[in-house]
Amino acid sequence: MAPETGEMRKRTFVVTRFDPDKDQVPKTQTYEVACRPDWKVLDALNHIKDEIDPTLSHRWSCRMAVCGSCGMNVNGEPKLTCKTQLADYGEVVEVEPLANFPIVRDLVIEMDGFMEKFKSVKPWVIVAKEKAAEEGPNRQSPEELSAFKQFSMCINCMLCYAACPVVAKEPHFLGPAAIALGHRYNMDSRDEGAAERNEVFRGEGTVFHCSYANECTEVCPKNVDPAAAINQAKLNAVVDWAASFVVKRNG
Amino acid sequence: MKTLLLRLEPVIWLLFGAGILLGTLLLPGYLLAVTLGAPLGLLPDGAMSYERAYTLASHPIGRVLLLALIALPLWKGAHHVRALLADWLGHGPDPVIGSLLYAIAAAGSLAGIYAVLTL
Amino acid sequence: MARASHPQAMTPHRPGSTRTAPPQVPDTFWSQPRMRTYLLFDATGIPYLVLGLIVLRVAVALGRGPEAWQELMRDFSNPLYLVFHAIALISVIFVGVRFFRLFPKAQPARLGPIKPPPRPVIHAGLYAAWIAVTLALLVVLGGLWP
Repeated sequence: MAPETGEMRKRTFVVTRFDPDKDQVPKTQTYEVACRPDWKVLDALNHIKDEIDPTLSHRWSCRMAVCGSCGMNVNGEPKLTCKTQLADYGEVVEVEPLANFPIVRDLVIEMDGFMEKFKSVKPWVIVAKEKAAEEGPNRQSPEELSAFKQFSMCINCMLCYAACPVVAKEPHFLGPAAIALGHRYNMDSRDEGAAERNEVFRGEGTVFHCSYANECTEVCPKNVDPAAAINQAKLNAVVDWAASFVVKRNG
Repeated sequence: MKTLLLRLEPVIWLLFGAGILLGTLLLPGYLLAVTLGAPLGLLPDGAMSYERAYTLASHPIGRVLLLALIALPLWKGAHHVRALLADWLGHGPDPVIGSLLYAIAAAGSLAGIYAVLTL
Repeated sequence: MARASHPQAMTPHRPGSTRTAPPQVPDTFWSQPRMRTYLLFDATGIPYLVLGLIVLRVAVALGRGPEAWQELMRDFSNPLYLVFHAIALISVIFVGVRFFRLFPKAQPARLGPIKPPPRPVIHAGLYAAWIAVTLALLVVLGGLWP
């Protein structure tokens, strides 16, 4: 969508504030900002911090939608604020910390819960025996790559967790990004760890609690389509579960 | 109970998946003919008379389809009602409510098997 | 602007060094249009559940004999039953349309040696099957054959 050209426009930002040393619960603070027509939400937040209120805390880094740092809820929808044009919004813009995460301060959320789920799916290539260097690199055809490439595009921005109705109600659920990444490795032809990951997928964080709301895919800024990954993972997990009765497993 | 349910989730999901896929394929034809067409008098005479209905249902294929029309909607329904209550009641997919709903689906399916075998 | 999410949503097992505020969702989280559609989709579980039990009654009536069958058909003519079955039909179509849209992408790129057909082919195939099965059932149950 082409950014608007033209005049500066005054907008009202209603921003969540929370200082654990001072506040019992989060509250909101309102800022009037004269916005340039081509600004994103992040530009307005940085302007607020630089010129109006230096106590505002928010995460951001690359400002070009590849690092995944700046995820927040803007007018109720999970967005990357560096990618969200103010031209698409009216006079009042509500900025809240990413939904479904504990709030550390202002717009900064606690990420460790995500990192725990992330690590639990063992997001690395697992092989029984490492190839010797002399044997050369692993070979993978374009067709083999296409089985998982889309799911490797995740930037861990966690917008999908902010959108998922199951994450909102079930604390143990692994969540979209973690499952999509585990599935990415299960579908990687170099990997031999599918059985281990499918155990995790059938464990307490069970993929089967996904109810296919598809919200994760709707909000994903990188077209990863985590809903596709999760539901493919369900079928794989069932087949793996059935196979585990027939085929003896090592360890 | 939570661990038992976790262990059974793959099977339940398969039954639910069959329920939604096959059940959804079969239901419109059944609903239009038997539950709407027949009572509203839109079918030819004798289409849903007892004799004809019994002949169709007691055929081996008929028994299988009748069982499918009982069991598949039950598993789809149980799974989705559990998800709905999870969203509305507040604590995620509840193992007690889930077990109750799946028990209803299982009981209905078993009753269906009995009814279809003893036609 | 916001309401509570699950109090332990996305909470790490080892808490951080500062006090955090509990997770929250925007007020529009459950009421936004896409979420409403999804909740409606889940709610179709209720007519499906009741429907399965009614078909059980059909099977039992068939086993009992002509009187039970006549009584069943009389009950089916009752407006309450007709309205329920109409709602059930609408639910089934709603479920079918949404499910057929989401089903193709849920097939893994390969399951062992098996590769699924391309997604548009699966999508079209599902609708073709739906029409074919419905027509077949209408012909048989509707009295046209045998």
